[in-house]
Formats: sequence, C-alpha cells, structure tokens
Amino acid sequence: MLKNKKLITLLCATFALVLFAVACGSDDSDDASLLEEVQDRDSVRCGVRDALAGFAVLGADGSYSGFDVEFCRVVAAGVLGDANKVEFIPLETADRFTALQSGEVDVLIRNTTWTATRDGQEGANFLFTTFYDGQGFIVPADSGITSLEGLQDATICVAQGTTTELNLNAVFSARGINFTPAFFDTNTALQEAYEGGQCESYTGDASSLATYKFTSERDGGPAQYVIPEVISKEPLGPVVADGDTAWAQAVNWSIMATVQAWEFGLNSGNINSYSGDDPNVLNFLGAIDPSIEGLSTDFAVNVVSQVGNYQQIYARTLEPLGLPMAGSANRLWTDGGLLYTPPYR
Amino acid sequence: MSEVMSNGVMSEVMSAEALMPSKKLSARGWMRANLFNRWYNAVLTLILALVIAYLGFRSIRYLFWTAEWEPVRANLTLFMIGSFPRDEQWRVVVQLLLLAAAFGVIWGSMIGASRDRAAQSGSPFSAEPGWVALRRWWGLVLLLGVLLLAAWGILPLVLAFGCIALIFMLRRIAMRLASKVRIYAWFGGYVLLIASWQIVSGTGGSAWFWAAGLLAFWGIRTVRKKDLTPRLPLTLVAIVGGGAVAWAIYTFILNGLINFSGVGWDNWSGFHLNLIAATISIIAAFPLGLILALGRRSSLPAIRWLCVTYIELIRGVPLIGLLFIGNSLLGFFIDNDPFIDFFLDTPLSQISRAIVIMSLFTAAYLAEVIRGGLEATPRGQTEAGQSVGLSPWQITSRIVMPQTLRASIPAIVGQFISLLKDSSLLSIIAVSEILRVRASVHSQGAFTTLGTAETLVFIAFAFWAFAFTWSRESQRLEKHLGVGER
Repeated sequence: MLKNKKLITLLCATFALVLFAVACGSDDSDDASLLEEVQDRDSVRCGVRDALAGFAVLGADGSYSGFDVEFCRVVAAGVLGDANKVEFIPLETADRFTALQSGEVDVLIRNTTWTATRDGQEGANFLFTTFYDGQGFIVPADSGITSLEGLQDATICVAQGTTTELNLNAVFSARGINFTPAFFDTNTALQEAYEGGQCESYTGDASSLATYKFTSERDGGPAQYVIPEVISKEPLGPVVADGDTAWAQAVNWSIMATVQAWEFGLNSGNINSYSGDDPNVLNFLGAIDPSIEGLSTDFAVNVVSQVGNYQQIYARTLEPLGLPMAGSANRLWTDGGLLYTPPYR
Repeated sequence: MSEVMSNGVMSEVMSAEALMPSKKLSARGWMRANLFNRWYNAVLTLILALVIAYLGFRSIRYLFWTAEWEPVRANLTLFMIGSFPRDEQWRVVVQLLLLAAAFGVIWGSMIGASRDRAAQSGSPFSAEPGWVALRRWWGLVLLLGVLLLAAWGILPLVLAFGCIALIFMLRRIAMRLASKVRIYAWFGGYVLLIASWQIVSGTGGSAWFWAAGLLAFWGIRTVRKKDLTPRLPLTLVAIVGGGAVAWAIYTFILNGLINFSGVGWDNWSGFHLNLIAATISIIAAFPLGLILALGRRSSLPAIRWLCVTYIELIRGVPLIGLLFIGNSLLGFFIDNDPFIDFFLDTPLSQISRAIVIMSLFTAAYLAEVIRGGLEATPRGQTEAGQSVGLSPWQITSRIVMPQTLRASIPAIVGQFISLLKDSSLLSIIAVSEILRVRASVHSQGAFTTLGTAETLVFIAFAFWAFAFTWSRESQRLEKHLGVGER
C-alpha cells in the first residue's frame, strides 16, 4: 500500500511539473511580418468557403475552384511567383475572423463584406474590393410578388450571423414590413428550406440568388423571380489581420494587378508578348521597381500570366453560372463600373 | 400436433404450442398458425401486407428509377476522400491493401489462438468459414457493392476483390501457424497496421513513435513471457524505452531507406476522415476513460474529485459546444507555447484539435460506462484477491478489469457507434468530413439543385453500414464472452 502511495505521489508531481511548464511557457510571438513567414513557408494559407457556387467550391476532383479561389492564387502568384502555392482552408462564417486573428490563415478571401464595425472590432484589415454585391430577395415566379412590400407577413430564410441578417431586420423594420425570419447555417440548407416551402422568400447576396435562379431553372426547377430592389451595399474583398502593413500591401497590389491588366488590355495570353511602348504598361510589366516589400518587379506578369486579368477570372468562374458582368458594378471605371485602381507609376 | 393442424382445428393449448419455434411447421402451416389464426389477425395481416407492399414498391421505385444518383456517382471520390490530393491517391489504395493484410493476419492469429486454447482444455473447436463472416457483415458488403456499382470501373473492382482475397488468404495462412510462430504473425499484423498509417501520413509524424513503443513493450512481454502489465512504472518505461529504441533505429539506420513525406491528416477529408477521426478518438478515449473510471473510485480524495469534476464537467456540455471551444479558443491558449512547440513542429491543426476534443468527450462517457461495469463486479472478487496477497495493480488488471470490461461491452460499443456518427458534427467547424463535402457537391455548378435528397440517403447508408456491422460484432462478442448469462 505504501509503495502504491509513493507511486501516485510521483505521478502527481510529474503532472504538476508538466502543468507548471505549460503555464510558464512565455509568449514569444515576434513582430515579424507575415510576409516573411509566408515566404519561408513557401505557401499562402487562404481562408475560403467550400460551398458557394461560383465563388469557392470543392470540385469532384478534390480541388477548389471559383472567383474567390482565383484571387487566392493571385496572391500566391504575386508574393511567391507561383499560383499553385496555395493551401486552401475552408472556414465557417462564424469563425472566419477568429481564424484570421489566431494566424490560422494568412488571408481571408471568403465573401466577406467590408463594414465599419468589422474593420474596427474584428481586428480585420479589408483590402481592394473584388466584387460589388448587394442583398436581394428571391421568390417563386408564380407567387406574384414583385416588390419588398409584397413580402408583408412572409417567412424569410436567411443565413445566421451574417450582415444579411442585420440588413433584413433594419430595412424591414424601417419600412414597417412584418416578417418571420427562419435561420440557417449554410447556403445549401437555406436553399433546401426554400425549395421545401419553409419560407416564401430567401434573401442573400444578389450574386448567389442569380446563380441559384440560373441553375435551378436550368435543371427543371420552378421558375424564380429575383426582386429587382437591392437593400444593401456588399463590397466583398480580401481581408488580412490588422497591423501588418507589409503583408497587406503585398496582397493588395497583387490583387489590383488583375484590374490594372484588364484596363491595359493585357491578359494571360498576350502579356508575355507585349511589344508596345506605352510607358505606363512598361512600368506595370517591370520597368520600374515600386519597392513594395515582398513583390518582385515582375509580380504583375506572374499574376496575369498564371491566373489572368479580372475579366478572365470573372468569365471563367461566374459567367457560366448566369451572372453576366454587363449592368453590374463589377466593370472598369472607364466602362461605368466601380473597378478603379491607383495608377501604376 | 400435425393431425390437429391438418384438420384446421386448434385448441387454445395447441395455438400456444404453435407460437413456439418449431421446425416441423411448413411455410403454409406457419402462416396459418401465426398470421391467420383469428379473423381479426387475418384482417390485420392483409392490411399490413398491403402497407408493406406499397412502401416496398415506393422505395424500390425511388431507389432504382426516380432517384437522381448522378451527384453521388460523379462525386464518389469526393465523398470518400474529399480534398485529399489526387496525385497522392495511391497512398489510400496502398493503405487499404495494408489494412486488409493486417486484418487477415490478426484475424487468422485470433482463430489460431482460440483453437489452441480449445485444444488445451480439450473442448471441440471448428473455425468459422470465411463466407459466414461475410454474411454477418452484409451491411458493409452491401456498401461495397453500391460503391463498386457507382464507381463502375475495372480498377475499383480489382482493388475490392484484391483486398478480400488478401484478407482470406492471410487469414488462412495465419490460422494454421504453430503457436510458437504465431507470436511473430501478431507482430507482423501490428507492423502492417502501423505501415498502413505511415504510408499515407509519411514518416515525419510522431504516431509511429508511440505505435512502435507499444509494439516494443508488447514484444518484450511476449518474448520474455513476463507480464509487465501489473507493474505500471515498468510498463511505462517499456513503452517509452521501446519508442526511443524505435526512434534511434529509424533515425540512425533506416532514415535513408524509408524516409518519405506523405499527406498529413490535416489534408485528409471525406468519409476517410470520419472513419479515421472516430477510430483515433476511440483508441485515445479508451485508456483515458479507464483511468477516469478507476480514479473516480479511488480512495484518495484529490484524485477522486479531480476525476468527478472532469467527468461531470464534460458530460454537462454538449459536444457541439466543446468543438466550438476547441476550434475557436484552443488556438489562442496553446499558440506559441514553447512547451507544446517542443512536442509539435506546427501549431495544433484544426483536425487535431477536433480529434482531441472528441477523445476527451468520449473518455468522460466511457468512464461512466466502465464505472457501471466496476459497480457490477462483486466486492468479493477484490477481497479474494487481497486474501491471496495480490497487489492492488494485479487485482485491478487481473481480476476486476476483465469482468468489468466484459460487463460493459454493449455500452462501450454503443458509445463508439455514437462517436462515429458524431464525427459528422465536425462539419460545423469547417472540417471537410462527408456531410460538409455534400454541401460542396451541391455548390458545384451542375448539382446545385439536383439530387439533394439522394446525397443524404447515400451518406446515411454509409454510416449505417459501419454502425450496423459494429453493433452486430459486439453482439457476437457478448455471446462469445457469455455476457448476461451469469
């Protein structure tokens, strides 16, 4: 019995020592930029969705594809010179900012709306907006509803914990429209509830409503109607953690290169064979070195030749899902859109 | 009795007798005795038969004609291994083959061992033919059939039948080995198990270190014929020492030969991950649950209260809550901790955290299950051990534990089955297990609205096949050990 007690004392002491060692572990996090860490690791960890048609989808071959995914590759091409050096990390809506803060992902390109409180409270740094969206409503075409007022007393399916939910409450209460919300976690659950008749309408980003209407009608589903009124501004773009200017600039300029290339008429097919003498274009192709930390002088060539310009990315990922560029804000400023980058000089 | 039946007349006594299982009744006679023995039973039988026929017709029509299986068929690989890199897919194939080999060797050795035991005690023994086992596992066989049908290719077919052939071939060889040689067959089986893990994860991980340690411990025990189990310090020294020796052999001798990188479990996903996560959690939770159950009955108040607090705390929180805590908070606690960094080259990944949480959760429930078994073991057993001068460790490991575990097998297996199903909860913290893969499938341009019910049916079926087989095996084990007979 005595021997046994000694043993247990020994075990307890070991356990206490281990706890002590864990508790005493000093926090030796350094202030080095994420940029160096990414370059050392030779891979960009990109927080994405895995189930949003057109933006980020896990395909049958086990690889990610979509609009947001392409921009992850853009960052890798710009910072590391190889668009394939990306590790995609699927994240839930609720814990995407936690993942960014805890350093689990380097950059978040996950359909995240830029808002003042997120910029302030979540320790997030929003960069160049890649997609201008807005919140809309979809109803079955045979419901006869054509305006928001038609949704009086309706049940509306909405994703929980998103700006969509906040907008819905704010706008409907301001207009005195009564409604019952039905909350869901994922887009798939939302659509299934809507198809199952659990709600008269479902609300979400106009882009996802348009792709839903397109694919659903294509597959023989009932005709859908997207109410033309859009109740919010949803600028979606990449996000990095606050307080790391070097990394933020590297990501931002990599992404803006796709828009600048489009403006110059450069795409993945012709950028390597550019023979003109426009000094602005030559600057963009590497004639000047803006000395942005982490980006080589020819980073723009890497981005555009490996991934493409903005228009190519859009045409590849969103247009097949019934989301035309025409008429949207996602066009060049020269064409009446909102895509406008600082000059490259 | 047959006379009475042929006359169609039945006394009350006779009908009671007819209800008892009897092989003499013809199908027609059985129906008359059980289904149409009263007019109201006849009506009930007819109505139920109509309902069953209608449901059967609708189900068959749905399964074979109206259902849209294309999303499942096109994404079969995605459902099974998720985003696992496709150019590394051969690793999973080799893993399957190695697992099949390990299974065959261990199964055969088990049969051989029980044959030897039977020979020793002079009782008759006949090995169960392989096809009987296959019939017992019809759930899994059905799943395999469905997968092969959906994959519709020569390669999956070769792989499936290769695995089955490997299992039965090695089983046959292993069960015929002499008992002296069989020790090495056991070793071979466990080495194959470790290899089946390493082939996927590469040699970089630390899992093989612990596996090698356990193997070394067990090797010393078996070869030296000395039971170390009752002596805890020696056991720990054997495990850690064995691991260190394995590490040294690997680092200084084998490193050049078998050093290869693989795909760490952070990149495993799909149903593969569900099964792996559940299996690892089970393996990790079992010893922890055992210690907690014993600790809760300890005579030392500090240990007792520590265990009680742990068990009640964990059991009081839903698994979802714990998973969220593990996912969102654990990262802040253990990030940049030099003590943890010493053991791990990288911060604990999301999947590792989830598996840790699942193990801790299951351990608390297992502790209660095992405590139930401990309570059921008569106090006299311990006293008997004490009276012949056994040490507390010997009493626990040799007398109490075998009886306890035998009594708690049904509940333990039930816990494991629910753990397998709970692994689908990982989807809410963005781990790409099979249910989350389904959301991805329905975001692919081609399947946004197609077959959303069918993918769920398929996933449910996959879970059922495993859970059902486990439960059947546990029933068989119960019967084998005579649980509930004494």
